[in-house]
Amino acid sequence: MVEVSATPEWAQLSMSPKEYARERFRFRRRALVPVVGFIGPFLALWSLFLAVPMGWAVWLSLNEGGLVSDAEFVGFANWTTFLKNDELQTAIKNTSTYVVVAIVVVFSLALMLASLLNNNKRGQNFFKVALYFPLLVPPIMAGMIFFFLTHYDMGVINLLLQTAGQERVNFLGANPNALLTIVGLEVWRGLGFWVLFYLAGLQSVPADLMDAGKIDGARTVRRFVRISLPTLRPLLLFAVVIALIFNFQLFDSVQALTKGGPTLGTTSIVWFIYKQLFAFQESGVAYATSLALLLMVVALTVLAYGFLGRRDDGTK
Amino acid sequence: MAEVIVRQLTKSFGDNTVVKSVSLKADDGEFLVLLGPSGCGKSTILRLVAGLEEPTSGEIVIDGKIVNFVSPMKRNAAFVFQNYALYPHMTVFKNIAFPLATARMAKAEMNVAVQEAARILELSHLLDRLPSQLSGGQRQRVALARAIVRKPAVFLMDEPLSNLDAQLRQQTRLELMDLHQRLGITTIYVTHDQVEAMTMGDRIAILRDGELQQVASPLETYEQPANTFVARFMGAPPMNLVPVTVEGSGLSWKASGAGGLIDLDLNAMGIAQSIISVHASETLKLGVRPEHLSLAAVGRGLSGKVRFVERTGSETFVTVQMGDENVVVRCSAHESASVGEQVGLNVRIAQAQLFRADGRNLRTN
Amino acid sequence: MTVISDQDGRDLAALKRQSVSLRSLKSSVSYLVLTLFTIISVGPAIYIVSPAFRESKSLFSYPPQWLPNELYLGNFEFLLTETNYVRWAINTLIFATSVTLIALVIDTLAGYAFARMQFPLKRTLFGLVLATLMVPTAAVLAPTYLLVRLLDDWTFGIVGIDTFPGLILPMTVSPLGVFMMRQFIETLPPGLYEAARIDGAGEWRIFTRIVLPLLKPAIVVLGIFVFMMQWANLLWPLVATTRDETRVLTVGISTLQGQFVTNWGVIAAATLMTLIPITIVFLFFQKWFVQASVAGALKQ
Repeated sequence: MVEVSATPEWAQLSMSPKEYARERFRFRRRALVPVVGFIGPFLALWSLFLAVPMGWAVWLSLNEGGLVSDAEFVGFANWTTFLKNDELQTAIKNTSTYVVVAIVVVFSLALMLASLLNNNKRGQNFFKVALYFPLLVPPIMAGMIFFFLTHYDMGVINLLLQTAGQERVNFLGANPNALLTIVGLEVWRGLGFWVLFYLAGLQSVPADLMDAGKIDGARTVRRFVRISLPTLRPLLLFAVVIALIFNFQLFDSVQALTKGGPTLGTTSIVWFIYKQLFAFQESGVAYATSLALLLMVVALTVLAYGFLGRRDDGTK
Repeated sequence: MAEVIVRQLTKSFGDNTVVKSVSLKADDGEFLVLLGPSGCGKSTILRLVAGLEEPTSGEIVIDGKIVNFVSPMKRNAAFVFQNYALYPHMTVFKNIAFPLATARMAKAEMNVAVQEAARILELSHLLDRLPSQLSGGQRQRVALARAIVRKPAVFLMDEPLSNLDAQLRQQTRLELMDLHQRLGITTIYVTHDQVEAMTMGDRIAILRDGELQQVASPLETYEQPANTFVARFMGAPPMNLVPVTVEGSGLSWKASGAGGLIDLDLNAMGIAQSIISVHASETLKLGVRPEHLSLAAVGRGLSGKVRFVERTGSETFVTVQMGDENVVVRCSAHESASVGEQVGLNVRIAQAQLFRADGRNLRTN
Repeated sequence: MTVISDQDGRDLAALKRQSVSLRSLKSSVSYLVLTLFTIISVGPAIYIVSPAFRESKSLFSYPPQWLPNELYLGNFEFLLTETNYVRWAINTLIFATSVTLIALVIDTLAGYAFARMQFPLKRTLFGLVLATLMVPTAAVLAPTYLLVRLLDDWTFGIVGIDTFPGLILPMTVSPLGVFMMRQFIETLPPGLYEAARIDGAGEWRIFTRIVLPLLKPAIVVLGIFVFMMQWANLLWPLVATTRDETRVLTVGISTLQGQFVTNWGVIAAATLMTLIPITIVFLFFQKWFVQASVAGALKQ
């Protein structure tokens, strides 16, 4: 190390620590001005239309009324109703059943189609476009279409069944058919998205892994199960959580096809909330349910990030 | 044209202090090279001067003004990046013109300035291309053009040649030196390549782990390295460092090590009597460059056994083992040494250096 | 002749011969399956063409028939004259476009701030925003509705129920958009940004001249994503509009389902009319749509 006997004149500090700190403060403060301009608009809207309602939802869950009449504080009464309300329990049961069935069906089909697409490259674009099409249809309109298709009297499915000499099926008028029909609708709509999703995932499996598998003599199915799936595992977990979050919010199909019926057979959680709030004005339970839904989704979001993070080794 | 001073500059990232109270001065028009291995802080110092990082403490002065809290542009220092940092969606012309456009220069004036800069760097025929259509060397020149078009007071260059292949590197090195001679702008140049530093710099500042090791002319760092780190860093093959103990009195001292005994010449080596006597009987290091050694018949002085013989065509490097130590000797192309042979060594002691246990040179400057 | 065998000792050459025919069988089956699902995907929409052109009464005839005897345009006539369909369509267009534009602006700005600017509490704020990434509309339905109603009084009716601002603004908040933009901006080499600062550009100039041009693909993807989401949005507009003239297409079409009697021909016509333009746009911009949907979830 160079040991200088004394600091040469030019190397001596000219600002006192106090002066220095002051200038630095001023400098940093000036640097914040543009920040406000960039982040301000988003933060303002976010606070007003997302953060505030979220906080409000917590408050509301302890209240009754508020939509038509004034809100009155009822403490945890709503939550006891939450646990005891039959209709809500049915809604939870229906939604859970739907979610599980829908995810299992959609993911299985999507994985299969994605791997088919991945292994057979010709015409890939055509198929992708075709499968994507249902996503263009707003859920409510998809519901209308399905209503047609499954109509007892004029639906084409029953038409075909009749010509084949079979019994007509009452798709929407009976449980559990109704719920299954809704599953069908959502699977039809969501398939395109998940096929593309998994296709992208499969394509990210390193080619050399697959080649090694081929050389080792593994057949297609085995290659899929032993190589592709494990590589996709974090993605799969992430996808499941995302799918859970989306599917628990089932509403549009219910509105289009069954309006919650028959006899509450297809009432979903969100449908329940909507009905309680705007049809019956019995808001207390709805508030509690909304909050429960909110907490569940936030918890799932954090979970999803856990899975993502593990894949990326720490980048957020 | 300006003088750049850095005073007791310190920069820490969290717990990691990358620059430790470094003080440097680059005179007006000087070409100062910051040299050191990766992680020594040289790039950080450059970025601090540029204004791309905020110092933890210390002052940065450009042209007499403290610029710690001044935005990069206002410091009037141009920066050339290692990977050029050209704007990919703009043509070469627009790239070069960008600093002027930001300063809201009139279109006509801007045009003139860009054409001038392009001419100096021989880019006039490439002005309509996009960076992706250029070769590495051409992109480098666009980066340079963008830097000079502002007529800055200071040039800051961060390893601009590292991304070029060897041949292009040499050529561009000469072009840069030519540019410096023509424009005379104060330049601070960062590199880890000591050949670049030696050939280009007016002075070299060698850094290690955030601390300044030596600031001197290239020749001085080569012939009178301040410590063992500098001694080994400069020159290839590096200086030989052999552990020795010294004994003697007055002006007559000897160094004894694995290969034998050598007489020391205190005057030629620039070592004061008082200093060397303090270190008698300590283990010191004797530093001799390969070109200051030669092979001789086995005799009274140093001797050892030949381990390796490497012929490069223009010279031969013979590695001689003395005890546990290996020294490299530079010989002529036709030197006839063979592996396993016992040889003697002649030392040009006037050129040698003695280092303390902590690495510092005993030479008093 | 040496026979090369794989690890199980099977004759590789024979294996190859066999697998060629097996392979083509496998691929035929694959294409068959893919075609099947293509038909399933596109079929229902094609199916709806028929009822649109038939009189509602005749839809329930027995024996049921699919092909209409003649093209009946009465449904469309009804739709366009007797209902507010045109109004709904315009509303939807205004709604979806406004939300998209506003969201794009604030999301790119905020994404840039989170990616490249320094400010206190940046990490905390971003964490908070992330936590709200997927807040369901239903969970905050009541409070948002109450909020908009409150604003109705406070802003003298500018922002309120049955107003465009009231409908649009709550939907412009898209943490996902900010996240996407930030991720994308972070992939830009920091050297660009530093070079620009040295060249004297301030944040705004860097943003408009350097970042935005390079951000174009991400903007298109996000834009399409947001537009599609709002185009299909039912729950919020259902709650935020009470008058028929302020409704959007999703809500409007659902009202065509009467309590007792439903004019199915008209509904089919409406669905068809709504699907055709979006299909055409889709076919033109396929690549972007495909990217948009995957980007929505796959952004890492």
